[in-house]
Amino acid sequence: MLVLVCIVAFPTFFLFYASLHEWVLFKRGMPFIGFENFARVLTSSEFLQSLKVSVIYTFSTTSLTFILGLGLALILNKELKGRGIMRTLIALPLVIPPVVAGFAWKFALNREVGVIGAYMLPAVGFMRSLLADPSLALGSIIMADVWSKTSLMFLILLAGLQVVSPDLYEAARIDGASSWQLFSHVTFPLIKPAVIIALIIRFIDAFNVFDTIFVMTSGGPGTATQTFPLLGWKIGFLYFNLGEAAALAIIMLVMTIGVGIFLIRRIT
Amino acid sequence: MYVEKFSNLKKLILYAIVLTYLVFVLFPLVWLVQSSFKSMYQALKIPPDLIWIPTFEAYHKALGGGMLKAFMNSAIVSLSNVLLVLVLGISAGYALANLKTKASQNIGFWILSIRMAPAFGIIVPLYIILRTFRLVDTIFAVTVAHLTINLPLAIWLLKGYFEEIPSELAEAAIVDGATRTQVLLYVLVPVAAPMIVAVSALVFLLSWNEFLFAFILSSEAARTVPVLVASLAGTMRFDWPLMCALSSLALIPAFVLVVYLQRYIVRGLTFGAVK
Repeated sequence: MLVLVCIVAFPTFFLFYASLHEWVLFKRGMPFIGFENFARVLTSSEFLQSLKVSVIYTFSTTSLTFILGLGLALILNKELKGRGIMRTLIALPLVIPPVVAGFAWKFALNREVGVIGAYMLPAVGFMRSLLADPSLALGSIIMADVWSKTSLMFLILLAGLQVVSPDLYEAARIDGASSWQLFSHVTFPLIKPAVIIALIIRFIDAFNVFDTIFVMTSGGPGTATQTFPLLGWKIGFLYFNLGEAAALAIIMLVMTIGVGIFLIRRIT
Repeated sequence: MYVEKFSNLKKLILYAIVLTYLVFVLFPLVWLVQSSFKSMYQALKIPPDLIWIPTFEAYHKALGGGMLKAFMNSAIVSLSNVLLVLVLGISAGYALANLKTKASQNIGFWILSIRMAPAFGIIVPLYIILRTFRLVDTIFAVTVAHLTINLPLAIWLLKGYFEEIPSELAEAAIVDGATRTQVLLYVLVPVAAPMIVAVSALVFLLSWNEFLFAFILSSEAARTVPVLVASLAGTMRFDWPLMCALSSLALIPAFVLVVYLQRYIVRGLTFGAVK
């Protein structure tokens, strides 16, 4: 119990403490400066850029993985031959180290040696470099995230679907419901709890993704793919400004809780 | 049991959708693994050779020299996480399942807040603490950092499982004169074995795959496999086959675990929300 308190509570308080001080490693002294770290973070130009990137990134990967995951779960909830092996394969990316996933995509998309970037795309007349072009890099990291995280959506939603009793479908069919009516009036209301959980988990996860983006682009080119976690890493462990990094972490936490509450209220 | 009937056409379309997605899933992995068996020259060839004589050059390089140390580090960190989580997690989970205090009811909220907190929000204070004790770039530091995530998760899962075990079982043993420790070790742990196995696998996997904490807390001596892969991926001169070989080796635990423990891992990753 005590161990747990130490592990959970101590860093939290320490985080707040750090956020209220001017704290830069290798620099002497750490005066108390109140909320100035927050002000500095919020007014910097990189913050706005990261906000934009994070919103686009989080929103598109969450919705794309949701749509794909739901579609695949609906299909593989049916009696199809070979669905066991198909389920396992779809689940596979979930357990693959994100760093490896990022590297695999970086390699495949590479303009000089990658099978997609250097061979397939030029063959259809597309000559630009996916990861070095600011407007395409964001799309590329979104795709890599969809690749690695659709599994989780799929598995949660599939588990939700399996609870639904087949008798209900039969009854609705006998009453003459169309496939769409079946989904919107029977299936969806019943899997709603799973949907909410899936969306919240996925949102938090997408908002905090660091590893795949770091390996693929490190936030670049420029700041085109610099989401909040990458900005935080840069402030805290490249510039060693731990006070500002702590402030950014708290801002992120507040945003996460805000959106989390919004999602719960909105959907329930 | 009601089974929906499909027309053949509909079936075909559904298969086509799933298979397209599977190509998308498997494509980068196949590309990665096949490149690891090529020489530097073959790997850079465009269009790529589909038939070639495999070479183990890259694997020789990956397993010789300094690279092996990263695998050792990863293994030590992951296994000691499993061990510590089992010792601390089983006892804490058991205590929380039996103590009906406010703290044990609120623990769910704590776990949730750990998952919601931005990872680098956790690493900032941890880094400061470990740095003060001059522990940065030690295996100990990385292990402790991983515990901050793994331990609450494990306690949560184990507590839920212990609560499901009927209390008559423990009571019967106590009537027979067993102490509480004996009850836990000889009655409850064997019953909870499936969950304990699942938690171990999950913790191992999370620790093996984790990047951010290990990256910030290690520079040379304590770096784990993901850190090694990432640092090589960031250099300008690429040795693609070597990187592919390292990545392929890093995949092995994932492959083993997804086949055997898929369901449990899902339960863990969704913190028990889905059974």
